[in-house]
Amino acid sequence: MNNIYIYNDSFISLLNLIKCLFKNKIRPYNIKNTFYNKNMFDNIIKLNIESDEEIIKEFINIFNTYNFKLIYNVFNSNEENKEIIIYYYLLNYFKYKDKLGMMRNLKCVSETLRISEKIGRECHKFKGFTRFKELKNKVLYAEINPDNNILYLLSIHFKKRLSNEYWCIKDINRNIISIYNKEDFEIISGNNIEIFKNNLSSDEQNISDMWKDFYKIVGIKERKNERCRMNFMPKKYWKVLTEMEEENEKDSIWKRVTRENRRGN
Amino acid sequence: MELKEKLQILSDSAKYDASCSSSGSTRKNNGGFGNTHYAGICHSFSSDGRCISLLKILLTNACIYDCKYCPNRRSNNIKRAIFTPEEIAYITINFYKRNYIEGLFLSSGIIKNPDYTMSLLIETITLLRNKYHFNGYIHAKAIPGASESMLKKLGSLTDRLSANIELPTNESLKLLAPNKKENEVFKIMNYIKTNRNKSFVPAGQSTQMIIGASKETDLEIMQKSESMYNNQKLKRVYYSAYVPVNKDSLLPSITIPPLKRENRLYQADWLLRYYNFKVEDLLDKENPNFNILIDPKASWALNHLNEFPKEVSSCSYNDLLKIPGIGVISAKRIIKSRKHFKLTFQDLKKMGVVLKRAKYFITCGNKFYIDYSYLNKHFIETNLSIEDKIVNINKEEVKQLSLFNYE
Repeated sequence: MNNIYIYNDSFISLLNLIKCLFKNKIRPYNIKNTFYNKNMFDNIIKLNIESDEEIIKEFINIFNTYNFKLIYNVFNSNEENKEIIIYYYLLNYFKYKDKLGMMRNLKCVSETLRISEKIGRECHKFKGFTRFKELKNKVLYAEINPDNNILYLLSIHFKKRLSNEYWCIKDINRNIISIYNKEDFEIISGNNIEIFKNNLSSDEQNISDMWKDFYKIVGIKERKNERCRMNFMPKKYWKVLTEMEEENEKDSIWKRVTRENRRGN
Repeated sequence: MELKEKLQILSDSAKYDASCSSSGSTRKNNGGFGNTHYAGICHSFSSDGRCISLLKILLTNACIYDCKYCPNRRSNNIKRAIFTPEEIAYITINFYKRNYIEGLFLSSGIIKNPDYTMSLLIETITLLRNKYHFNGYIHAKAIPGASESMLKKLGSLTDRLSANIELPTNESLKLLAPNKKENEVFKIMNYIKTNRNKSFVPAGQSTQMIIGASKETDLEIMQKSESMYNNQKLKRVYYSAYVPVNKDSLLPSITIPPLKRENRLYQADWLLRYYNFKVEDLLDKENPNFNILIDPKASWALNHLNEFPKEVSSCSYNDLLKIPGIGVISAKRIIKSRKHFKLTFQDLKKMGVVLKRAKYFITCGNKFYIDYSYLNKHFIETNLSIEDKIVNINKEEVKQLSLFNYE
């Protein structure tokens, strides 16, 4: 039987579980969150461990800040086997210590570095692609749709940049919102808050129109290169970009027309 | 005139400037508004695939000069407009707040004289920095011929200050931009170079050359860049494929901008700055232009096949950089890791080496990736260009690049 250990979805409970596994020298087959669908060879094990927040300090002490940040990034990714990668990465740290980062022939190391880079890259993309709208009460509101959970990293960036504004960023794929009150931000579930996002400030329309004009004009038509644009700015991100509204509309009309054509045939 | 229309006119006039980077500065948000990101951030990508990070506008598109290639030249009959400093500040602040842009790129046509134009730029940027406490990125263009005191003021307000050389030789400058003088541009560059520090142009300076408007070969262009990197300590040289906006007997009659040539020049430019290549390695008097079909690094490697294959687990960092398919990041990773374990081709792939290019030029643990009896110049060249899918390149474009029909 394959021993699958279950943790209750939070980063802290994962760390607690890993600590417990290390302590008792258990090698899990896999580690999964509570949404895991059991298959017939699995032996599901739920350990009763108290969630202790002190564990973060403890882990940073043992594995140092750099590695801690790495595994936090991996945890926030949408990779399937991220938990077991984290487990083996930390396990190997005891053997290789600070040389671990160079042992790229180990699968857990190369995967950890690859996933962490991927998160960093997507976060960096959204440092550019986040588009705020100003609401009537002067709060800046943005919606993002990243593949990985980058809201925390992104909020750190905007906390420094727009420190004198009220803003909130909603991750529409995960339904979580980061809210900033000019001092610090907090990430809460989207169910606990309602935002009147159509109640825009008076010059919002004017400004976003100017931006759309600017965007259209800046492209040089003799150099038009759809593929190059798509490489840097994949279509999946277009729906949160103010300047792409027109293209999105064209796209949806095109889709509808082709669908109707197909039905007609 | 409405603000909206002004923005349309003055961004349309500014779009041909290639520079867009927003990197190299670490301005902090000291209770004000915004900050800069050291690596730079691209906020959007326009339909031509270029990144948009700065609000690229001219202060005015009125100009007393008559440069042949420029859409804003005096003799063109186009709509002219001028921004007030308040208007620029309003747009910049509101765009920045919504995270549309990383900062402002402000250039200008020359009105009255260079010093007067500079004073307008200074007034605008002072307003942004002091009244609105804007700490975002600002890239301003220095106007050739302006006095040193003006340069000093403008430089202390901006992150990047630059002057465009536009054409690689003095002769073509005389021909196409009779009012512009090369030594005036160099005066600005040298001034910035000697005075640059944390509070004066922290992100350094850049320049731009137009490609394909005059008769220079790639060799002359690259030599110019190399000398500017060495002597003026430039951060970047931008190459801008000539887009035929004006009709003039002195300009080449092309319809498609020489984009592939521009691409090759950028590749070579990277080789100069990060890969320790020199122009004399890449080009010489017999081959003064880059091969359009194959990139400069691969074509260098093909001409020096006797130096290959290189053994990745023992050769030096500099040698690693010379291998096509290995870049700065993967070379550094190889150096770091190979002390600790024996490299295999699988590991190389994981480190980001592009094996489909590198496989002809390396051995790993004294093993070849492919049968070495195939390794001759013709075989490699064909395979590399097939992989680049350049075989399918628009034939007309290649023709346009190699023949210059002057009207």
